[in-house]
Amino acid sequence: MNDNLAKMREAAKRALESGDVGYVIGWGATKFPDKTSPLFMRKPEDAERLVWNEYAIPGIAKYLLDDLYPDKPIGVFVRGCDSRAINRMMKDNRIKRENLRLLGIPCDGKDDERCTICRNRNPLVYDELLWDEAPTPEPKDRYFRANAVEAMSADGRYAYWSEVFDQCIRCYACRNICPACNCKECYVDMTATGFQGKQHSRSDNLIFGVTRAFHVGDRCIECGECERVCPMGLPIMGQTQKILKDINELVGDYESGVDAESENYLGVFDLDDKDEFM
Amino acid sequence: MSKIGVFVCHCGTNIANTVDVERAVASARELPGVAFASEYKYMCSEPGQQMIKDAIEEYGLDRVVIASCSPRMHETTFRKMLKDTKVNPYMLEIANIREQCSWVHTDKAKATEKAIRLIRMSVAKAARDEPLFASSIPIEKRALVIGGGIAGIQAALDIADAGHEVALLEREPSIGGKMAMLDKTFPTLDCSACISTPKMVDAGAHPNIKLLTSCEVVKTEGYIGNFQVTIRRNARYVNHDICTGCGLCETKCPVKTDSEFNHGLSKRPAIYKLFPQAVPSKPVIDKNSCLKLTKGKCGVCEKVCPLGCIDYADEDREFTETFGAIVFATGYELIDWTALYGEYGGGRYPDMLTGLQFERLVNASGPTEGHIVRPSDGKEPKTVAIVKCVGSRDPKKGKSYCSRACCMYAAKHAHQILDKLPGTRVFIFYIDVRTPGKGYEEFYDQTRKDGAIYVRGRISKIYKDGDKLVCNGEDTLLGKQVKVMADMVVLETAMTPSSGIEELATMFGVARDVNDWIQEAHPKLRPVETQVGGVFLAGTCQGPRDIPDTVAHASAAAAKVVSLLNKSEMETSPMISVVRREHCCGCGACEKICPYTAITLEEIDDRVGAKRVKRPIASVNSGLCQGCGACTAACRTGAIDLLGFRNAQILEEVDALCL
Repeated sequence: MNDNLAKMREAAKRALESGDVGYVIGWGATKFPDKTSPLFMRKPEDAERLVWNEYAIPGIAKYLLDDLYPDKPIGVFVRGCDSRAINRMMKDNRIKRENLRLLGIPCDGKDDERCTICRNRNPLVYDELLWDEAPTPEPKDRYFRANAVEAMSADGRYAYWSEVFDQCIRCYACRNICPACNCKECYVDMTATGFQGKQHSRSDNLIFGVTRAFHVGDRCIECGECERVCPMGLPIMGQTQKILKDINELVGDYESGVDAESENYLGVFDLDDKDEFM
Repeated sequence: MSKIGVFVCHCGTNIANTVDVERAVASARELPGVAFASEYKYMCSEPGQQMIKDAIEEYGLDRVVIASCSPRMHETTFRKMLKDTKVNPYMLEIANIREQCSWVHTDKAKATEKAIRLIRMSVAKAARDEPLFASSIPIEKRALVIGGGIAGIQAALDIADAGHEVALLEREPSIGGKMAMLDKTFPTLDCSACISTPKMVDAGAHPNIKLLTSCEVVKTEGYIGNFQVTIRRNARYVNHDICTGCGLCETKCPVKTDSEFNHGLSKRPAIYKLFPQAVPSKPVIDKNSCLKLTKGKCGVCEKVCPLGCIDYADEDREFTETFGAIVFATGYELIDWTALYGEYGGGRYPDMLTGLQFERLVNASGPTEGHIVRPSDGKEPKTVAIVKCVGSRDPKKGKSYCSRACCMYAAKHAHQILDKLPGTRVFIFYIDVRTPGKGYEEFYDQTRKDGAIYVRGRISKIYKDGDKLVCNGEDTLLGKQVKVMADMVVLETAMTPSSGIEELATMFGVARDVNDWIQEAHPKLRPVETQVGGVFLAGTCQGPRDIPDTVAHASAAAAKVVSLLNKSEMETSPMISVVRREHCCGCGACEKICPYTAITLEEIDDRVGAKRVKRPIASVNSGLCQGCGACTAACRTGAIDLLGFRNAQILEEVDALCL
């Protein structure tokens, strides 16, 4: 058992014993040695089931959305990506800071392609830090998916996305895990939007794909969870990466979820907005 | 099933020449929900309107589609017409088959096809129209005129004479604007100061006019009838409540800095009046050149002031006032030719003047008391070259437009030179001579008879040779190169909008054209209004014009303001945003994107499972909402909808076009 896991179990146990939190969210083992699942610890002894290893990949912050009005604060272990997810949902007025007890755990990077573009391994918001922060290694190409698609011709891109979304089974796992997809009711669940059909067809799948990308848009925290949970393994980060790339190239450095105050770039009206195109 | 009436207008031949109106009507009859379709030569005319009313009565129509010009043009006309019928005025759709079809196409078959599609879209949208009802808001019976030039003064006087309060705002320490700088005015040659200063005094003394000099607009909120304008009064360092304007301080001030009013042709002290006839006739301190304020020493003015008006601790102050109407009278500036015309020396030669500098030079109250002499050596010029269209009608270097007043004041300058210095040779280089105005052509003729030599052609280069300014150019009528050895050159430079117009226009949400002049609501029929309700235009902020046109424009704007302020309340458009509470998750995306601060988040009581909770949702202020629809695009759940342009209606239009 590594030292860090011991510290995490200790922290979870302490929090549950004190009665300050209702429950603590972390990672637990599954029957597969290389997979973990979210673990909801309600009793101090549950802390013994906590797992922290190179497979503790899943984002766990999104579960906060299932309990918006808790009686007691909820304890959550937060890595860099989880903390950005929490900032995201706080900025969107969905969760409240006073309902959270954040146990900061600087991450050592996981065995996942999407972790290679990580820009913040250390949590950006937390109540206590369980061990010392370590610098985040130089990230790889932030727009690796978008760049690959951009290199194609217009017809090539259409063929590419058609092929991608022909495989989409519309399970909405990408939406369910995404911390930016935090609406009370998602438009895909409404029966009469008029523009989104439920059927599995290329046009409706593409409409879903493009609408998801624009709804997330500038609020994407680049955690890559959408791709990880996709049962069809679709490279859908390419869509949000493209939007972020455009914003970064047009107006300079922009990153979402690094705090809970900064405005979403596409979400404000400002007298100084660039309007050369008008 | 709805009963839609479709009325296709010929617009004389404007539409009918390019669109087969009868075919459009026939195809409209086939559309679902259409109970009646017809055409007429001028749908907006009295018989056209009567025809629509009769059809509503006869066929029991409950909504109307009119295929005609842009809704900007006649939507209000037709809404007004529907008020007399059983049909709600908002159950109306306009298919724009003129601006968006007949005017921009030549192929009649294809244009007809497009018109049919546009009508099909409007019919689809109309089927989802719902009755809307206007509410009314009170009007604050005060006007704010921004800019204290002749346009602002005239507008303020007219509004004040009609019995309404006016605040006349000017960022300089005195009202008067550009007209106060001019010497004589064409074509009658009456003295500019003699006709403008009495108006300035009237404005300063009028019981209904409050002067806000040294003031700038910082922020504005609100809407027609209720603009909350935050104004900054820049520090004057002189207490104008006590100051009598005796002028002692000005004579003792040791500082000499360039006079803005004389365009750098003379010096002024740091405590100064903009010009002797300034209104208010009280000095201010220029904080950038005052020794006390920049270096902490001097203080002479404080010592000599007999009334103790000087207050070095004065600070900029901000205050907010409410106005029912706003008049933009922000005027113009001359284009900075020095940056554009390197071949004219780029401003290196002191004997090259702009039109306004020449006005100061020739003005009896100017730096030389009206003697036309060269700024460099004080000698009278023997040869003067006047170059027109410097920066105007020159899309490569300056502006593509004509600045309108220059032809006439170039003629006036020539006349003044020939009058004051008989025997001087005056060459005027021109592209065309434009003299549309009462007495203008006669004045131009007289100037030529006086001896001004008009040369058609642009000047390609001006350089110095000894104490002469050599002007190289071409006489395009002779087809020969010409060279004029001038002692003085006057450049009649282009008018451009005043600095700061971009910020001001954006603050009020007023549109600008490609050259940054303020865009009028309609170039012919609404020349003094803007697209923003309650914001009007006076004078050159809309585009170059001369004094008579400016004064007429300003009075027209005042008439519009007066007719607005005469009402005690006005109807507001019911086409505003509404929130579906059950879908709103309170993310606030709409709040941030709203340009009119019309949306705020409010806490409501809700129930989640067994719990009673408070949660934020968006709430729209119906007075502030202008119906722009930005929020509906920002809302991810589609919880916010624009009445009259519901998402569902727009989808119907898209389907009608594409499916």
